[in-house]
Amino acid sequence: MTIANQARSFFRKPHNVILVILAVALSFLTLFPLLSLVRDSFVVHPSEVMTVKGAKVGELTFFHWRKVFASGLTSANMLYKPLWNTVKTSLGSCAIAILLGGSIAWLVTRSDLRWKSFISVVFIFPYIMPSWTLAMAWLNFFRNRLIGGAPGLFTALTGIETANWFAYGAFPIIVVQGLHYAPFAYILIGGILRNMDANLEEAATILKASRFKILRRITLPIVMPAVLSTFLLTFSSCMSAFAVPAFLGTPVRFNVLTTQLYRTLNGLNPGYGYILALVMIVIGTGILAVNQWFIGKRKSYTTITGKGSNISLVKLKALRTPVSLLVVVFLAAIAILPLVTFAVESFIMAPGNYSFSNLTTQFWIGPGRVDIGGGEPGILINKYVWLGLWNSIKLSVVVALMAGTVGGLAGYAISKARGTRLAALVNNLAFFPYLMPAMAFGAIYLSMFARPFLGLPSIYGTFALLVLVGAVKYLPFASRAGVNAMLQLSGEIEEAGVILGIPWRKRITRIIFPIQKASFLSGYLLPFISCMRELSLFVLLISPANRVLTTMLFQYNEKGWNQYANAINLIIIVVVLSFNTVINKVTGASIDKGIGG
Amino acid sequence: MPEIALKGVTKRFGKFVAVDSLDLTIADGDFVTLLGPSGCGKTTTLRMIAGLETPTEGEILIDGKTVFSSRTGVDISPDKRDVGFLFQNYALWPHMTVEQNISFGLENLKWDKARIKERVAGLLATLKIGEFGKRYPSELSGGQQQRVAIARTLATGPKVLFMDEPLSNLDAKLRTEMRTELKRLHLETDSTFVYVTHDQLEAMTLSTKTCLMRDGLLQQYAPPLHVYNNPANVFVADFVGSPTMNFIEGTGSNVNLDEIKIVVDGIDLMFTPVSGSITLRDDQQIVVGVRPEYIKIGAQGKVRAKVYSTLPSGMETIVRLSVGAQLLTAVVFGAIDFAVDQEVAMDFVEDRCVIFDKESGCNLALGRLGVV
Repeated sequence: MTIANQARSFFRKPHNVILVILAVALSFLTLFPLLSLVRDSFVVHPSEVMTVKGAKVGELTFFHWRKVFASGLTSANMLYKPLWNTVKTSLGSCAIAILLGGSIAWLVTRSDLRWKSFISVVFIFPYIMPSWTLAMAWLNFFRNRLIGGAPGLFTALTGIETANWFAYGAFPIIVVQGLHYAPFAYILIGGILRNMDANLEEAATILKASRFKILRRITLPIVMPAVLSTFLLTFSSCMSAFAVPAFLGTPVRFNVLTTQLYRTLNGLNPGYGYILALVMIVIGTGILAVNQWFIGKRKSYTTITGKGSNISLVKLKALRTPVSLLVVVFLAAIAILPLVTFAVESFIMAPGNYSFSNLTTQFWIGPGRVDIGGGEPGILINKYVWLGLWNSIKLSVVVALMAGTVGGLAGYAISKARGTRLAALVNNLAFFPYLMPAMAFGAIYLSMFARPFLGLPSIYGTFALLVLVGAVKYLPFASRAGVNAMLQLSGEIEEAGVILGIPWRKRITRIIFPIQKASFLSGYLLPFISCMRELSLFVLLISPANRVLTTMLFQYNEKGWNQYANAINLIIIVVVLSFNTVINKVTGASIDKGIGG
Repeated sequence: MPEIALKGVTKRFGKFVAVDSLDLTIADGDFVTLLGPSGCGKTTTLRMIAGLETPTEGEILIDGKTVFSSRTGVDISPDKRDVGFLFQNYALWPHMTVEQNISFGLENLKWDKARIKERVAGLLATLKIGEFGKRYPSELSGGQQQRVAIARTLATGPKVLFMDEPLSNLDAKLRTEMRTELKRLHLETDSTFVYVTHDQLEAMTLSTKTCLMRDGLLQQYAPPLHVYNNPANVFVADFVGSPTMNFIEGTGSNVNLDEIKIVVDGIDLMFTPVSGSITLRDDQQIVVGVRPEYIKIGAQGKVRAKVYSTLPSGMETIVRLSVGAQLLTAVVFGAIDFAVDQEVAMDFVEDRCVIFDKESGCNLALGRLGVV
């Protein structure tokens, strides 16, 4: 066969066409930006002309690298301290998430705990809600007078002034992120426990092992790989979290990598920021590599599923009701109470005064008053809020359509050409954005699209940029869903269509998509909801014209307009929760079925 | 020595009745199979005796000791019932080596290290898996995993051994081999085996007594050959035996003292009971059951039949015959390849044909079948 003929037969298969297009497009959208980011860390930027002595804009320099890594106190403040803070808070959060999520997973799957269905539904809430929800609730409760402003509910109710370490900084960040990711740990570990062959534990029971010994020698070692995997994924999520440390750390100048990145990129030294972004990408990639290596090891056992239906449950006996009650009360405190505080905070006139006479609807429907919040009207009659909500929904819909469609096609093509080098390349490229911390990803796109290049005009500040960054960042959700959907479908299904001479487009739309509707749809829905509650990805790229709700919330919070922030947060949560519920009811897909984030 | 007794044991999952007031006594040293189609309650029964499932009602005694009673509230946990359990999927612990799997139960009994080592080595040798001691279960084939599971179960020397379809994950050849070994094991260990299977051949070949169940109800509890030759009802007759029994439906009536004339679509049959005479209702609808080996094909024979198909397998040949409106299965020893639509003569032989009441499905009598 001649080369021309070979090429023709290669391209006659639709999945090969898709793979080639995706390989080129994704290289351009993920690898190329990475290179551009590296380059930017060596270049003098316009705002840096004064700091880098004797340099002109665009010149190559090692200035940033030297400053960030090897300049004594500057480096310590710039990189090492925030890095240490990131590691510290992420480790702490992981510990809380895994202990809490794991315990509840065990209680739900292995004991005769009461109200299980309620618990398993409500426990997921903190994970579906935006990550800063609990951080804001924490502030509503525990903020103190030390940094100015009014004290929170706790002080108002008890008269006890909260200590700084308790209200701000490492401690609350660890607690809040731990609670936010505990459901994630619960989902992963619970999934393993639920699928774990109950016979494995029963075999030990018959051989006279005690309950505790079974847990220690059988159950824990078997779920260990899942726990480790949970640990690594949670760690990388915590590391890339921006909102929580921004809310809780900034008041006491407690910086982590993400907040530092935000500061430098928004300030006069973007070159430093690009290096910090690289550091985060290296760590993120490293963690995922460790995870992959671990999953592939000899003693890991993914195929341990059996009929786990009729396991005999551990009887909690006298502790049954107290433990169940404790869990329910705790869940109410972390999943429902925060919403109450947002409502309360948004209805009070003078912050810190929770008396009845201080209630007002000013921040919801009041007309603007010069003496409050810079004359902003209440959020329900504020056209900018409505614009933000409209932007959020528009952005999420467009992003979901793009990511879902491309991801679905990617999944189709990857599974069709499984085993080829091209498929592996596209698979990795499509997963690559997942490794990158959201803010670093935003930074890359900022660096790449802030100026015209390759003949394209600068799209910085446009809606198109937000769509692009969102679609690429959430592509992994969709391509994963697509690959999973296709793997469950035997190849013969499509081949039967080929034999009958049905054209490719019809095979996709009339045969493959309808059969695996739920899986493909979740490839659209996960990007949608993730996008609705995304902050760190967009915070660097947003311009006043295309503000979305989350960045508005962040701005209100930065200005200290607490009531507006709480009201907007409530709107976001209601939108996200209701979309997730409706979507879940209709299609069975839910954000908690995703791969974390 | 252990004898297992179930008294009125019932298990309900919500509204679904998995096992319905089951009475069963398993004598010491028996090899009892619980047989039936999937969903008949056999696994649930086994798990209830082992203590892995809690009955809704009833009483279970092992070795004269009540281990469960819904009346008195006794419910002894599985680890105190002194039983062994072999799971369908082996349930080997994936994170432990073969040796660790086998020694786990002995550690729980607080055996000292030297003794454990000796016992494990002994078991590995008995089950011919000596070279795999240091491997992980995922590195073994299905048959090897099966042997490890057996070794683990035998390690603590239980006097009662429960097995839940232990051979169903093996290929046909290995299954035959393991059957032989299980039967030997039963004698060598001198223990009571309770064995769940949906494979009638396994039940026939292995057990001393077969307990046939359907929809949670006990159908027949007897030695396997008795079940084969004298099935309690149509269901049992149909379930046991391969190829399956022929069922001919017709209308019966008493004639000539104790003979029964059966009018079938196409032929008239005469049934002579050997298990005692019976009286039928007027025009009672009955089903005649004839095992394939009791249909003889030859040059002489009262019935003309046409060959519908022939399936020679070497040792025997299964021949489908069409007789009037009936399609009957016969088994001939040796390989004979009849041509399709060939005319042959056939006869019913032996006095082990069964008649059942069509309405209740119950066995009415055993006897000889002839053609009028």
